[in-house]
Amino acid sequence: MAEMEGEGLRATSKAEVGNQMAAPVPWACCAVLAAAAAVVYTQRHSPQEAPHVQYERLGSDVTLPCGTANWDAAVTWRVNGTDLASDLLNGSQLVLHGLELGHSGLYACFHRDSWHLRHQVLLHVGLPPREPVLSCRSNTYPKGFYCSWHLPTPTYIPNTFNVTVLHGSKIMVCEKDPALKNRCHIRYMHLFSTIKYKVSISVSNALGHNATAITFDEFTIVKPDPPENVVARPVPSNPRRLEVTWQTPSTWPDPESFPLKFFLRYRPLILDQWQHVELSDGTAHTITDAYAGKEYIIQVAAKDNEIGTWSDWSVAAHATPWTEEPRHLTTEAQAPETTTSTTSSLAPLPTTKICDTGELGSGGGPSIPFLISVPVTLALAAAATTTSSLLI
Amino acid sequence: MDLRAGDSWGMLACLCTVLWHLPAVPALNRTGDPGPGPSIQKTYDLTRYLEHQLRSLAGTYLNYLGPPFNEPDFNPPRLGAETLPRATVNLEVWRSLNDKLRLTQNYEAYSHLLCYLRGLNRQAATAELRHSLAHFCTSLQGLLGSIAGVMAALGYPLPQPLPGIEPTWAPGPAHSDFLQKMDDFWLLKELQTWLWRSAKDFNRLKKKMQPPAAAVTLHLEAHGF
Repeated sequence: MAEMEGEGLRATSKAEVGNQMAAPVPWACCAVLAAAAAVVYTQRHSPQEAPHVQYERLGSDVTLPCGTANWDAAVTWRVNGTDLASDLLNGSQLVLHGLELGHSGLYACFHRDSWHLRHQVLLHVGLPPREPVLSCRSNTYPKGFYCSWHLPTPTYIPNTFNVTVLHGSKIMVCEKDPALKNRCHIRYMHLFSTIKYKVSISVSNALGHNATAITFDEFTIVKPDPPENVVARPVPSNPRRLEVTWQTPSTWPDPESFPLKFFLRYRPLILDQWQHVELSDGTAHTITDAYAGKEYIIQVAAKDNEIGTWSDWSVAAHATPWTEEPRHLTTEAQAPETTTSTTSSLAPLPTTKICDTGELGSGGGPSIPFLISVPVTLALAAAATTTSSLLI
Repeated sequence: MDLRAGDSWGMLACLCTVLWHLPAVPALNRTGDPGPGPSIQKTYDLTRYLEHQLRSLAGTYLNYLGPPFNEPDFNPPRLGAETLPRATVNLEVWRSLNDKLRLTQNYEAYSHLLCYLRGLNRQAATAELRHSLAHFCTSLQGLLGSIAGVMAALGYPLPQPLPGIEPTWAPGPAHSDFLQKMDDFWLLKELQTWLWRSAKDFNRLKKKMQPPAAAVTLHLEAHGF
């Protein structure tokens, strides 16, 4: 038997040498031959075929026996091809204390002298599952709803989930999501039901089992997706206006019969406080109290008119209200050129005063109503002359 | 099958036949109608108002019934309360309801529910509850009148009382206090669901009747001063 083993080993080493010598021969071909030879030999002469798969709990201790070998048999253990020290052995058994994730691997024990493979264990270190987190939501009302789940902490080993949906006593089908493996979809057959839905999930792996369930009414889980394509634009000749438009979320199937209402929030980037506007219909709104010249951030959320909860906030839109172009820049530009180190705020140009008033406005809200654009510049200039003296 | 829970409804059904035609009276006085649009909007607004009112009323009443009825997870099977008008409907059927049927179903449902609510009022223990219930019944009466008005404006006849209701009744075996409370629970639940459904029903009707001028004025507001 030992001679046969030697031949097997020599056969593999010959194949490896062949790899280096016969360069034109594709290495994949040689690798396949070598693997086939190794498999044939191990299958014929080893008592085990496939490695024994074993799952053990993180932090626990495990003793791996070398297959059917006697306790006093002389064996060597290897993990992933690396020798293990003999101080881990208890006779022919391998003892591992305080299992860590790094302990996962392929363990093999060999007869010490003949290198005959006695036993293989594919060890996976992991944890039993904790209670899963389950939530359901209808962003496609009245078509249906979906449920998604996850484990609060990883188990490091494969888990299987089983979801059941009950409507009263009737079992409903939850179709797996084609893309996401922790989500499934349920179609509403009936609307306006007084009977609650109960969704249960059980999760199990080789080390344990857990489960949870949630119960809810049809109306409470309705939450649309955020509005799409939120665009904010300045309004020409209106330094305090911004026009905002958006679209109903494309996942909401029937905005005609199930209209959405919207909530808009906006603030200048430099401030933390949001302004809010609730809109009962329409997908456009004009902000009329924007601070001149300041960049704004705007977001919109959606909700069914009567039931459910607000969507998440949309992707933010940014815009700055229209500002008048500086009119005297070409004629008066020659004068400040002699004093290049000084800033333009020292020169009393009417254009810069608009910016100064804007700075003032961010403090507490200007008292001048900005109704028509033309008189505004005159009013601003008048206000600025009085206030700029206070600033300096 | 245990019929004890349904008996209270049977007794009230007789009373309902008497009260049936009362809400129809306001509808007959409408003259110079500008069209059904404003009254549909008004009916929609009423369902929202009633839904808000019901939330506080139901909370108070369920607390009065005590546990398990006032527990949020309470999820009993639907037994008894067979004669309660159910809001639940197949999605496709609901979508394809014609206007007349849609309005009729709402009208019939609230007529029954109003009747049962009045029965509830009679049994209520505290004066505060009776007052709240009476106030709600009045509002519900207003909703019925509003629906009747829409139906009249559209030229639909008001539904006739259902046949097969016995003019006399024999008091059935006294059913338990718990079963009576179950009936009350389902009544409030069904009422709440009907109000949600009605909002959607009247939304659909509103969209159908919407005059094109309204869309134009919205655009003017968006672009001008």
